[in-house]
Amino acid sequence: MTIILNVFGKEFVSKRPITLDLESPTLRDVFVTLQMDHEGPWNRFLKKDLSLHEGCIVLVNGRSIASLEKLDTVIHDGDEITFTVLVAGG
Amino acid sequence: MKSFCGKMLEVDLTSGKAKNILISEEMVKTYLGGRGLGARLLFDMLPAKTEPLSPKNVLIFLTGPLTGTMVPGSSKFVVVTKSPLTGGWCDSYSSGRISLELKKAGYDGLVIHGRSNHPCYLRIDEKGVQIREANLIWRKDSFETERILRESEGNAPVGISSIGPAGEKLVRFACINSDLYRQAGRGGVGAVMGSKNLKAILVKGSQRIEIHDRKEVVALNRLNHKRAKQSQVAQARMKYGTPLTLNITHTGGILPTMNFQYGTWEKALEKIDSIGVHKSITAYKACLFCFTHCSFETRINEGKYAGGVLEGPEYETLGMFGSNQLIDSLPTIIQANILCDQLGMDTISAGNIIGFIMECFEKELLSSKQTGGLEIRFGESEASLAALRMMAHREGFGEIMANGVKVLANYIGNDSNRFAMHVKGMEFPAYEPRGAFGSGLSYAVSPRGACHRRAWPPAKEILGGYPPYTIEGKAEMIKALYNENGILHSLLVCDMPAKFIPMSLDDYSQYWHAVSGESVSKEDFLKISERIETLIRMFNNREGFTRKDDFLPYRTLHEPLPDGPAKGQCIGEENLNKMIDEYYALRGWDASGIPTEETRRRYGLLGENEIQ
Repeated sequence: MTIILNVFGKEFVSKRPITLDLESPTLRDVFVTLQMDHEGPWNRFLKKDLSLHEGCIVLVNGRSIASLEKLDTVIHDGDEITFTVLVAGG
Repeated sequence: MKSFCGKMLEVDLTSGKAKNILISEEMVKTYLGGRGLGARLLFDMLPAKTEPLSPKNVLIFLTGPLTGTMVPGSSKFVVVTKSPLTGGWCDSYSSGRISLELKKAGYDGLVIHGRSNHPCYLRIDEKGVQIREANLIWRKDSFETERILRESEGNAPVGISSIGPAGEKLVRFACINSDLYRQAGRGGVGAVMGSKNLKAILVKGSQRIEIHDRKEVVALNRLNHKRAKQSQVAQARMKYGTPLTLNITHTGGILPTMNFQYGTWEKALEKIDSIGVHKSITAYKACLFCFTHCSFETRINEGKYAGGVLEGPEYETLGMFGSNQLIDSLPTIIQANILCDQLGMDTISAGNIIGFIMECFEKELLSSKQTGGLEIRFGESEASLAALRMMAHREGFGEIMANGVKVLANYIGNDSNRFAMHVKGMEFPAYEPRGAFGSGLSYAVSPRGACHRRAWPPAKEILGGYPPYTIEGKAEMIKALYNENGILHSLLVCDMPAKFIPMSLDDYSQYWHAVSGESVSKEDFLKISERIETLIRMFNNREGFTRKDDFLPYRTLHEPLPDGPAKGQCIGEENLNKMIDEYYALRGWDASGIPTEETRRRYGLLGENEIQ
């Protein structure tokens, strides 16, 4: 499957496709795979236990995982996963 | 109480007289400064139903009790008045050296009544005020005005706030400029200043600002500076500034596009988003006493407007002149921002109005015959810039544009009010509420019209755990956000350090004690905030605002978003009414939105004027 990754932090990545050898994974599975096989700035958002550093948020298709199923959110082919810091205002 | 001067300077431009108004410590403990003190003063000083552009309107500049004290983000001031755009309460915030200089001159703020019979400016120091002729600066833009006034002071450090031609022409969304690139943008405060024939205010102080425990302030700053260096949020924000917000709003489906017809715009990416703007940054900037610099300078490097320099553009301008007008040219947006700053107009209102006109052209509700030959269509950069000049000078069709989108929609008719995106007459800022229903409630109940500063709901609904397209819990969420920001805006500290370090009300309670010597808990702060919000509500009730004014445009309520994560969503009247019912109840207001007697008694709001 292919997921699209964004990172909006001090490091910036926009719409990067990543191919994962996974079927019907949860977000937890995706995080584990990213940490093991795909080095990138997204890993700086995650602690070893897969929790997020303070002020860091993950969106799936524009929705915060806190309002979805958190790490149990099921990820589908083509889903866009965004690692972002908490922004405010403008 | 340290750091607080205990007096404001009151100037009557009609008579040319000035005097001091004493402000008691009790008043400051009850209302703090900034918005809170401004609410008390405006309520007491302004007779109901005063015409906003008449000499009887009052224009109040306020500092806060932390202003000029090394607390990060404390170099801010607020302008409080009755808005010519909405006819109601207006609080318009800005950074600027004038806040520090007012304190150093011995004043917590400035109250301006009346109207001068000739263009004038005020020069204020600790000896008082001089009302000076403004012949040399009237008709000049704000940049030139500041340059001339600074030269007149030998380029010594002074605080200057001024209006541009838009303020002189009473454009209803004219702003007040400070330090070139900072604006008290919203609500038309620049028009009120222009209606008084007041071109500028220059302040030069020299007194030391007393602080209760300077060492404690320094210690807190060291701690928070360390936290900022360790904060991924602060580090990202300091690198990219507010353009980072555009990447979030696009991803979350709440980026206003084509006059709020859509919520996403792929073409914005890498052109007018974080990355696009970052390429044009030439320097980073911070306000006085702030160690989380969030601002930056950009330069137009090529093309027709090459050489243009701006502090900005911020997210709101990128949204309202970019995606909302389908303009993906960063140089155009920078130039539009420069023009708005020079001419003295709010970029949010101006950008919103132009987006609305573009849709009217699209729907053939307007023609170039009506606009003096100008085809103002989506994506047309030059037409957008030309429209700005027309607005600022009230030339041709600009005469109508200058009155705001609500008046413009009434003029055009043909149900165009369905997509005139405003609340109470003040134009929507750059967040699409159909993608975050709490934003809709926040816009609807905001006393100054559609406002993005009283609360920032995307933090909870897009980036947090609140489901964005439901109404459950949203009233409580908005009340809590309003209450917290109400304190920040009454202490007059910037939102940015608070959100990015982050710093809580408990942290500000520590700063308050270090600065003033007074103790106040977070719970005390929240009670003060409730009092302030209720008093402002009473002000608007007195001006004739009712529940019917807490409303949203037809598009927001009835037209489903066609794209993005929020595809198919619109708020609906029933949902809005339920959220409003709940919000009023939480505030202790009746079903009509009028504070009950019990609520007013709880907050001590049954009394008389408290001005000495």
